[in-house]
Amino acid sequence: MDWLSTTHDAFALLFSGDRELWQIILISLRVSLIAMLIASPAAVAIGYFLATASFPGRRFLIVVTQGLLASPTVVVGLILYLLLSRQGIFGSLKLLFTQEAMIIGQVLIALPVLVAFTVSAVQGADPRARETAISLGATPLRSAWTTLIEVRFGVMAAVFNAFGRIVSEIGCSLMVGGNIAGVTRNIPTAIALETSKGEFAQGIALGFVLLIVALGVNFALAFAQGEGGMK
Amino acid sequence: MSGVLLTVETLRKAFGSRRVLDAAQLRIDAGESYVLTGENGSGKTTLLRVLAGLENAEVGACSFDGRKVDLGLYPDWLRQEVIYVHQHPYLFRTSVTDNIAYGLKARGLSAAVREPLVREAIAWAGIGHLLDVPPHKLSGGEKQRVALARARVLKPRLFLLDEPTANLDAEARQQTMALIRDLCDANSAVVLSCHDREIIELPHMHRLHMENGRIDSQNGLNAAAPIPVK
Ligand SMILES: Nc1ncnc2c1ncn2[C@@H]1O[C@H](COP(=O)(O)OP(=O)(O)OP(=O)(O)O)[C@@H](O)[C@H]1O
Ligand SMILES: [Mg+2]
Repeated sequence: MDWLSTTHDAFALLFSGDRELWQIILISLRVSLIAMLIASPAAVAIGYFLATASFPGRRFLIVVTQGLLASPTVVVGLILYLLLSRQGIFGSLKLLFTQEAMIIGQVLIALPVLVAFTVSAVQGADPRARETAISLGATPLRSAWTTLIEVRFGVMAAVFNAFGRIVSEIGCSLMVGGNIAGVTRNIPTAIALETSKGEFAQGIALGFVLLIVALGVNFALAFAQGEGGMK
Repeated sequence: MSGVLLTVETLRKAFGSRRVLDAAQLRIDAGESYVLTGENGSGKTTLLRVLAGLENAEVGACSFDGRKVDLGLYPDWLRQEVIYVHQHPYLFRTSVTDNIAYGLKARGLSAAVREPLVREAIAWAGIGHLLDVPPHKLSGGEKQRVALARARVLKPRLFLLDEPTANLDAEARQQTMALIRDLCDANSAVVLSCHDREIIELPHMHRLHMENGRIDSQNGLNAAAPIPVK
């Protein structure tokens, strides 16, 4: 295989607006962005609650969440597959091998990342922030919002980390998506499966896009933190 | 304005096995000023935080403005009347103006109503030149003045100020002193803790001395006589 010409082909594919290639990229971004939109508000609220409330079992839940951070995505995919398959509890919904199934899987993978990072961001907040909000007459909801705004860089780190994890995960997308061209074939499944069929140029082009997305997310975070004048 | 503003029958608080508050009775009159003195660790900050509803304690019968209250639950109407300012005030990472407007927004006032109040508070505290500085970059004295403006704009019946002049250099201290004097002269009641002679010796200042969590009134104005519960 000639590396130079394959890489050349990869960039040619990218910049010639190859329909199939861009469809894969759009499916990836669409699925992961929708998953983030669903998971983030709920997870940030749960994280804030876990960090500030006091009830029996709170510490246990936090430890469980931290444990789930590293859960293998293929196992999440397996469980979801069993639930969504025709014999599964949710089989009648006919969601297996659809983008919706991929979104559900990515929501499940993103949740513990978002919750755990939010918990540590809120626990790291200056307790005076919340006390000041309360003393100035803020309702619990407003003081929660104020505290989250005060630790917004930690919350943003949660969001960017979760996005980075789900946009590049392959195990779950493959299990419940099925790598159907034009429907559920996203960047990771395309790279893994198409490259094995000899489509090197496409694989390299997609890998390049994934790297750009991952780097872009991190640069965006670093830039936002710089703008915030932390410390 | 006169009459009893706040009465608390017993105030007890322990951190672990260490008892830090053990006061029989506390009475604050409307519009009056009180200075809490006492050695480090005598319980001044803890007392103010309990009165502000930021710390739980064993509290006996308590009334505010003639209404019975539970300091543990701290009803919303009481929040509107009492403002606590930390020894090292926390300013939100927004802007000085937004910090001062925070409580007004929480009270649901429109921007049109807030704006003149905020402007007046900024002028009162002499912080007009600081409006473009990120709040967390202000000096200790400047933060203290923003925090006092942020509290005063809400016109509470009771200010609880924890060591407002501690750790300030001479100039910042003088500027803060002027604001404190003005707050004490105005209609609200003020309870402040401090080790600062100049504040302790202000005219009309009632002295409350704390020792191991107990409160002693030093000039009889807060005599521990039975208080008629309205
Ligand atoms: N969160 C806490 N946990 C354990 N002990 C505490 C806590 N807060 C205060 N204490 C203890 O309670 C006692 C009273 O503290 P407090 O801060 O009220 O004193 P203070 O009179 O304000 O002192 P200072 O003049 O140094 O500000 C101290 O012994 C302190 O160590
Ligand atoms: Mg103190």
